[in-house]
This record gives sequence, C-alpha cells and structure tokens, in this order.
Amino acid sequence: MKRTSWIVIGPMLLGVPLLAQGKPLTVTGMRGVTFGAVLPGVPRVVLRSDPANSGQFDIKGPKGNVLLSFVLPLTMTGPAGAQMPLTFGASDAGFSQTQAIGSQVGFDPKQPFTATLSNSGRGSVFVGATADPATNQRAGAYTATIILNVTVLP
Amino acid sequence: MRSITKLSLVVAALVLTGTALQAQANNASITATASVQTPINVLGAQQLSFGNVFPGVNKTVVAMDLTNAGRFDINGQASTPVTLSFTLPATLGSAGNTMPIVSYAGVHAQNSTQTGGIGFSPSAGASPSLNASGQLWVWIGAQVQPATNQAAGVYTGSIVMTVVY
Repeated sequence: MKRTSWIVIGPMLLGVPLLAQGKPLTVTGMRGVTFGAVLPGVPRVVLRSDPANSGQFDIKGPKGNVLLSFVLPLTMTGPAGAQMPLTFGASDAGFSQTQAIGSQVGFDPKQPFTATLSNSGRGSVFVGATADPATNQRAGAYTATIILNVTVLP
Repeated sequence: MRSITKLSLVVAALVLTGTALQAQANNASITATASVQTPINVLGAQQLSFGNVFPGVNKTVVAMDLTNAGRFDINGQASTPVTLSFTLPATLGSAGNTMPIVSYAGVHAQNSTQTGGIGFSPSAGASPSLNASGQLWVWIGAQVQPATNQAAGVYTGSIVMTVVY
C-alpha cells in the first residue's frame, strides 16, 4: 500500500512543476493611460497609437489563440470622490503580435477579442480612451483602473 | 500489480485533466490618470450703465469707460487661452416699450485697469488668454438709440458672456 501511494503521489508531484514549466501565461501592465493636464469642459483623447500616453499590456504564453477581455471603468475618481466620465471607443484597443505600437489590429475594448500570440508566445495590447470633464469639473488628480483578462484558448 | 496499474491510470488522468485546467488565464491592470485644471468662473462684476438718456439723442458708453462699461471678471487656469462669446440684446425693454441698441464694443485685458487692453467686437467674440494668475477682465460698451418719442422709464436688457477653454 505504501508503495502504491508513492506511485500515485510521485507522478502528481512531478506533474505540477512540469505544467508550470511549460508555457505559463503572464500578463503585465507596462504603461498606464496618461491624459496629463485636462481643462474643464474640454474632452481629452488619448489614442491607442500614442507611444507616450496610451496604455500597454504585454502578454507571454503558449503560442496560439488567447481571448482578451477588459474590465473598463466608466469614470475616473478625483478629489473628494469627484467623478469624471471616461469613455472607450470601438477602436480604442489594439493588439500587436510583434509588440510594436505601430502595427496594431484595432478592436473594441468593450467586446471580447480573440488574438493570436506570436510563435514565441508574445503579444501586446494597447489601449486609448477619452476623458470627458464637465465645465465645472473639480480640479485635481483623477485615476481609474483598467484590467485586462487573458485566457488561453484550446 | 493490477491495482497499481489502475492507480497509475487514474493519476495519469488526473494529471492530464490538470493540464487542461491549470494556468489558462491571467490578468493585469494599469492606471488611467488625469490632472484636471481649474474650472472657469465668470462674474458679472459691473452693469453697463447708460445713465440718463433723452429721446432722440443717441447715448454711447465706450468699452474703455471703467465706470459705466459693463465688466465681467474671469478666473481659471493660469496662462490658458479661452474663447469668449456673447448673447447681445438688440433692444432694451421697459414695460412693453423697447429702445434699440445699435452697436457694441468690447475690451479685454489681463488687469483690471485695462493696461494693454485689446479691443474686440463682442458679436464676433474673442480668444484672449488668462494671465499668469488665471485672471481676465472684459468690458462691454454699447450705444442706445432712443426714438424722439421714446417712452420714459427704466430700460434694461441682459448681456450674457460665455467663456470656454
């Protein structure tokens, strides 16, 4: 019985590190979306092709298809809880297999999108947005969190 | 031995199942940031005052008249351009009677004494900049043209200025 147990446990212990060593999926937030100075009543647009101000996620994993989906904030939060609308257009997200901001395939960040990682299992997602301050928007620093979920497709 | 083989198969199945279920999803977050600047505040600081007007005699208040010209005070983000636009009444009214306003003139300046002030046509608007403290002053003058039989009374009208970045 003891022998049997080892035969059972052995492969299980072996199996876990083998899986981890394979092609783990990692997603890294590389750069936030930066609107900079925003004037009340004047919408500020950051394009996904903006190399300095667009958001960027880098993905590493097994080559093949992955499903990308965002959790997008509706507002940014500022001083004393003040809210400022934040909108995402139908082409405000882009995927690049080569991880180059200049060669993106645009997609709607509000919809799940299937992307294909490169042969080396890499890809980058870029995101832009529009901040829409009211004419009486309270002055100060505003922030919001953008989450990218990535799922490896079979 | 047979039981060991069966167990091995079970283990293999578990490991394979685990392969399909493990480490298939991940996520990360980034932050969106913005720095909202000072909102614009506009104050109607002084009324445009024609004083006594006589029937048949035009009366003009020039925009440079610091006492009688209408004045708006603006506060906002320092050294930032703004756009001024106006809603200008064509007449003043008094108990059903009207008196035409035939022209308007404006001056904007980065100080309250009009030093270095710039004239403009209110009907066309203007695009000045707020000063280093975020302030701007705007004066409005106009001319009324009372008829020779203009009814006596106090005539008023509203001038609206809109300021946007």
